[in-house]
Amino acid sequence: MLDYLLQRGLLSVVTLAVISLVVFTGVRLIPGDPARVLAGTDADEAGLDEIREKYGLNDPIPVQYLRWVGLALRGDLGESIRTREPVARTVAMKLPITLELACLSLLVALALALPAGVFAALRRNTVWDVLANGVSLCGLSVPNFWLGIMLILLLSVRLGWLPASGFVPLLEDPLGNLRRMLMPAFVLGTGLAAVLMRQTRNSMLEVLSADYIRTAYSKGLRQRAVVLRHAIRNGLIPVVTVLGLQMGALMSGAVVTEQIFVVPGFGRLIVEAVFTRDYPLVQGVVLITASAYVLVNFLVDLSYSLLNPRIRIRGTARGA
Amino acid sequence: MGPEGAAGGWLRRGWRRARRRPASVAGALVVLGFVTLALGAPWIARTDPLQTDWSRIRKAPSWAHPLGTDDLGRDGLARVVWGTRISMQAGVFSILFAMAVGVPVGLSAGYYRGALDQVVMRLTDAWLAFPFLVLAIGLVTILGPSLVNATLAIGLGATPTFIRLTRGLVLAAQEEDYVQAARALGGGDLRLMARHILPNIASALLVQATVSIPTAIIGEAVLSFLGLGVQPPAPSWGTMLNAAQQFLESAPWMAWWPGLAIFSLTLAFNLAGDGLRDALDPRDY
Repeated sequence: MLDYLLQRGLLSVVTLAVISLVVFTGVRLIPGDPARVLAGTDADEAGLDEIREKYGLNDPIPVQYLRWVGLALRGDLGESIRTREPVARTVAMKLPITLELACLSLLVALALALPAGVFAALRRNTVWDVLANGVSLCGLSVPNFWLGIMLILLLSVRLGWLPASGFVPLLEDPLGNLRRMLMPAFVLGTGLAAVLMRQTRNSMLEVLSADYIRTAYSKGLRQRAVVLRHAIRNGLIPVVTVLGLQMGALMSGAVVTEQIFVVPGFGRLIVEAVFTRDYPLVQGVVLITASAYVLVNFLVDLSYSLLNPRIRIRGTARGA
Repeated sequence: MGPEGAAGGWLRRGWRRARRRPASVAGALVVLGFVTLALGAPWIARTDPLQTDWSRIRKAPSWAHPLGTDDLGRDGLARVVWGTRISMQAGVFSILFAMAVGVPVGLSAGYYRGALDQVVMRLTDAWLAFPFLVLAIGLVTILGPSLVNATLAIGLGATPTFIRLTRGLVLAAQEEDYVQAARALGGGDLRLMARHILPNIASALLVQATVSIPTAIIGEAVLSFLGLGVQPPAPSWGTMLNAAQQFLESAPWMAWWPGLAIFSLTLAFNLAGDGLRDALDPRDY
């Protein structure tokens, strides 16, 4: 187990190092003086000198890189050109909003995908199975930003049931917050639900044909008990892995969804940063997003090893 | 059996399987329809998609304008038809780019293994950590927004998938007897890769390309919707949806058609891709 964790941890560190190198190089690829790029066009000579000194822009590139990584590790990702606020603080303010949206959409996705996937597997090759597959295929094919626009058209413009946009902090007005987050969470959740439903169905089909399930049936257990006690636990292991891999898609989806529903989260921040050419903010957001993805997948690896005893035992045996 | 006989057998087998999946055949036909629209846009859409007319701003669908007009009085049908060309271009060329980079890199990594393989795998790990849109946004920030840059960004986003898939397929193919036999006969590395391994993994790569194209089409629409891809007044489905957002109450048709076009095309590609996967699956004889 320890060997496995160390191996995965080491791989994650190497990946993070490569990511930081890519992000660092990316900003250096922007044409023009890097000090001007990082300080903005409004900055005066004193501001430029300050940036040059802070990042050691006159030093050799490898030294600059190490200095930048050192600052980033201490949470210093520079200052936003537009607001002059530290990037880390700006991100910390926006991140909880996107995390709330991501958690709600995850709930929507799981609530739709797991029952549908299990049901489709249990009713294999019936109308229900075909229907579930059809809906999942449509979910995969529908662009979420169009779905968002259509929902606004129906639920806000035509029926007036839900507010089309805007945001109220969760702690200020929980009900108002939920009313405004419902549509974005549904839009973001459907794409994920489609992927998870397919995966749940496939892995449940595999599990349901296993010997131990036949044994459980032959012991006289009812289908409900077999599915709930034996099949789901094993059937969901691959779903957890897919869930980790889908985090990137969830982040991409959040960028667009927040744009449509005017949710002032992390995704909207990055688009605004691009349009205002706020390079330090773009750099910080890209670095944090990619690092979060690596971290989430490391945690998924951990949970995978906890859910699947074979990995744990194999790891322990090798470690012993 | 001669090569013609083998090809005939393959086609017959493919057709037999295709008949079992009418939805996939329908998907392939819809894709073909969109290809025709993209290629024949100048002849199918007789109106100029860029021509504004202040006398027919935001007109509902009618005989004269079956898909209505937009906020600048441009014909909706002409813009959707021309938008097909942009979407197809972005979808197909980005995946061709991803294959042109990903397949040779994956082939070399899987064939030579060792340090090269390790470096390539760590690079793809890092590459995959950038969510597609975040990577695209980063690239567009550096390169500037345009169709070419959006296509490049989408292609770069899809490249690691092709590297990993090709590498995995090569690792499996190398253990096969026909590769061992070709090596024993003294075939060089390049010959082995190009003449023996590549043709045998091509079908799996083709399937991956088919299922990647719809993602790329949505990617272009998203980037254009955000203002990071095709720039107005060019008729991209994404930019059309962006404009439609402001007129949902007064002109909802502006949002219906471009979205429906993206949905139909991606659904058709997904259906066709599923069918192709089954048709080319060697386990299913």
